[in-house]
Amino acid sequence: MVSSASMMKLYKMKGKIMEQRPQRASCRWLLVWAYAAMLFSGLLLAGSGVSAGETLKIGILEEPKTLNVWRATDAWSNKVLGLLYQPLYVRDPKTLELIPWLAAEQPFFDEKDLSYTVKLRPAKWSDGTELTSEDVAFTGNFINEFKVPEDYSKWDFISKIETPDKQTVKFYLKEPQATFLTRTLTTPIVQKKEWVDRIEAAKKTEKPLGTLLNEKIDSPVSSGPFILKEWREGSYLFLQKNPRFFGTGQKIQGRLLGPYIDGVIFKLFGTSDAAILALKKGTIDMFWWGVQPGYMEDLRANPDIELFQNEKSSLYYMGFNVRKPPFNDPNLRRAIATLVDEDFIIKRILQGYGVKMHSIVPSGNAFWYCPDVPKYGEGLDREGRIKKAFDILRQAGYTWQTAPVEASGKVVNGDGIRLPDGSPMEKFTILTPPADYDPHRAMCGMMMQEWLRMLGIPAYSKPMAFGALLQQVKARHEFDAFVLGYGNLSLDPDYLRNFFLSSNDKPNGWNMSGYNNPEFDKIADGSAKALDRDKRQALIWEMQKIVMRDVPYLPLYNPNLIEAVQKGRFTGWVQMLGGIGNLWTFCELKPAK
Amino acid sequence: MELRKYIGRRLVQVVIIFFVILTVLFLLFRLAPGDPVSRMVDPDMTPEDAHRLKVELGLDKPLGIQYLVYLKNFFTGHFGYSFHYGEPVVNIIWSRLPNTVLLFTTSIILSALVGIFLGKIASWHKGKKTDSILTIGALVTHTLFLPWLALIMIWLFSYKFGWFPITGMISEDVWLDPDSGFIAKSLDVMYHMVLPLSTLFLIHFGAYLLIMRSSMLETLKEDYILTARAKGLEEKVIRDHHAAPNAALPVVTSVGLSLAFSINGGALTETVFTWPGIGRELVFSVSQNDYPLAQASFLLIAAVVLVSNVVVDVLYAYLDPRIRY
Repeated sequence: MVSSASMMKLYKMKGKIMEQRPQRASCRWLLVWAYAAMLFSGLLLAGSGVSAGETLKIGILEEPKTLNVWRATDAWSNKVLGLLYQPLYVRDPKTLELIPWLAAEQPFFDEKDLSYTVKLRPAKWSDGTELTSEDVAFTGNFINEFKVPEDYSKWDFISKIETPDKQTVKFYLKEPQATFLTRTLTTPIVQKKEWVDRIEAAKKTEKPLGTLLNEKIDSPVSSGPFILKEWREGSYLFLQKNPRFFGTGQKIQGRLLGPYIDGVIFKLFGTSDAAILALKKGTIDMFWWGVQPGYMEDLRANPDIELFQNEKSSLYYMGFNVRKPPFNDPNLRRAIATLVDEDFIIKRILQGYGVKMHSIVPSGNAFWYCPDVPKYGEGLDREGRIKKAFDILRQAGYTWQTAPVEASGKVVNGDGIRLPDGSPMEKFTILTPPADYDPHRAMCGMMMQEWLRMLGIPAYSKPMAFGALLQQVKARHEFDAFVLGYGNLSLDPDYLRNFFLSSNDKPNGWNMSGYNNPEFDKIADGSAKALDRDKRQALIWEMQKIVMRDVPYLPLYNPNLIEAVQKGRFTGWVQMLGGIGNLWTFCELKPAK
Repeated sequence: MELRKYIGRRLVQVVIIFFVILTVLFLLFRLAPGDPVSRMVDPDMTPEDAHRLKVELGLDKPLGIQYLVYLKNFFTGHFGYSFHYGEPVVNIIWSRLPNTVLLFTTSIILSALVGIFLGKIASWHKGKKTDSILTIGALVTHTLFLPWLALIMIWLFSYKFGWFPITGMISEDVWLDPDSGFIAKSLDVMYHMVLPLSTLFLIHFGAYLLIMRSSMLETLKEDYILTARAKGLEEKVIRDHHAAPNAALPVVTSVGLSLAFSINGGALTETVFTWPGIGRELVFSVSQNDYPLAQASFLLIAAVVLVSNVVVDVLYAYLDPRIRY
């Protein structure tokens, strides 16, 4: 505003005071410099002064929202925090078994007092202090005392945590809990010293938990392979090698750990296009996000790019509202399961980069995945599927004005479908996220609409803003069917219980379909308490069979994760379920010679 | 005296309008579907945990109470904590605002200066080749789709030619280097600014050119231009000192309001160029139902635009003595 006014003044002055040219010029320059100085003053904060060296540069699409581990619910914060705060146990990249990390050995279970004893290996925090059992007990007690939303369900069954010595922690459970090993012991441990004063101060405030969640953590005390050196918000985040990392020089699961790189720089990109150009140009070494199929041809042809394709632990599915007609009838759900062509979805919509899902548990999670579930429509072509679905519905008492399969066996467009009680089937909607949020799910909805209409089922696919969709489905239960997904399912299959337990059928509960089966509930509760892994596996398999028999959710696909890196810059990428961006990669990656 | 009365009256209007905006904003965000907690779709979080989080965010309270808290926060200058970042909203806005102002204000000033100058030239050569080239050029660049142009600029100048960095505002190589001083860092920011600035310039200068051209054509029909010619003044003097300053007046309103809106940034530009400004943050906060951050950002924009309107009107009277309130 000021500058434009000045500009106008200059115009006027020019007309009147022609002889004052030199002063006017200097005045203009003064304005320009003052303007520049003003704008730059806010930007120029002192740099921390570190050399990049053999540093891995990673392109990311969003910034971590926080470095406060209790607030971090987003994938981006957890990518960074996962390299700083470490858990007692981690997953082996090949077998996915839990293996000791901060712990020295497998936990010892005492059936008499329902306790687990965990021995710690010698480890230090990045500030030089020792990581002890006190820190572990503190983490658990803090979560339980403050009921930290993200972690409370993993710890609320712990009655007491004892620390007999600096290297030993003893957890007492209120009741047997199968997820203790997989979820409780994989919680990142924080340093007592870092948080104890903050907690005391927060307790004096009106909302202690809120105060702690809003705590800004500028320099997290790390026990992992890296430490935070500098975070320049909106641009980059620099992690430097932690010289005190307990794993350095150690052999865990036959892997000699580093880190062998000096640091990691997370560089922010606003779009995938820019990040991929930067990768091709060599500005970054890795793009830590799934590469969309549209980029594949170009990247495959590029000799400087290496691609990794891995399965994800994810689930994309169609859910039915089984609380009301027409989807309260399992026969209709089975008929739809028969009609939906997963091969088409994988081949056409995902362009071949995905795997079919036959069960709620992804097949990549091999131990828990039950291969012996009903596979609807498997091996049938479109006509075969229509005939099979028609048979299922006809036997269940459904009738048509125009049957989709004529007496001669010819398949035609069905019309005027009626429910077994004789009433016409009302139009219903399949809610999907909009195409700009997820084109795959939106497209799946449209395809399903077409497939169902071939049988005369009046389905309408309706894309809806994601927030509104969740509210409709999860909070209000006002829907017929929907397509949703979980991009990062936990490796412990306890979600299977959460999704279909009848007591979770409540507003904002996880049982969105409203599935209610006492037989399932009984087995599910048994699975949650089964401490023997094989016994639990049998129960989890049984649950999958029941779910796939009744089909409250119809699993559709599990997209593959394709990640791209610069070829020849670093070696030692570790592939596992969920891709190459894992703790093992960061501990084993070496600069190429 | 009249002007003072006018300003007083306008300021009262501004306060009333601002209060209406304050209320409408609050309601708009609450009426939008979804809430910040329902987005957290982690199956590990139980409904009870989610409810506890709602209580912590103050979202369990009735709408009336939430509104009162909102008003209290506003009048105490404390806009609350961002639901997403968990940081005071004011800190987030202040960390992003300078970046937006740097890029967008510079682009508007540059576009306006060049647009006014070229508009003047185009009108002076009305109907000739220069006019056609400038007018068509302005129309074409002004109607280009910004993200497309931005991506083409990045692809051509950063990727193909390698002249400029691929997006961002600073380079970690410079900023992590202990030997980099003030000058090196300033130059680094300017270097990163070239492409976004050029893109914004290409999109915007055409508008100013066209306004200036049409305003100048009107002015050239005025009697005092005829008088100037009759006096035997040089054509250049008539153009630059008699016609242009008067013709530039309508552009002032346009530039003034554009400058006010420039604090809004541009979500598309900032996203494509990874410019850490407020525009991107604003869109993100709305999509994440981050009410405190979205409300505060919109209020800031509303306040600046309302005040700028008054300032532009007053400035107009100052620049054109014929206008009196």
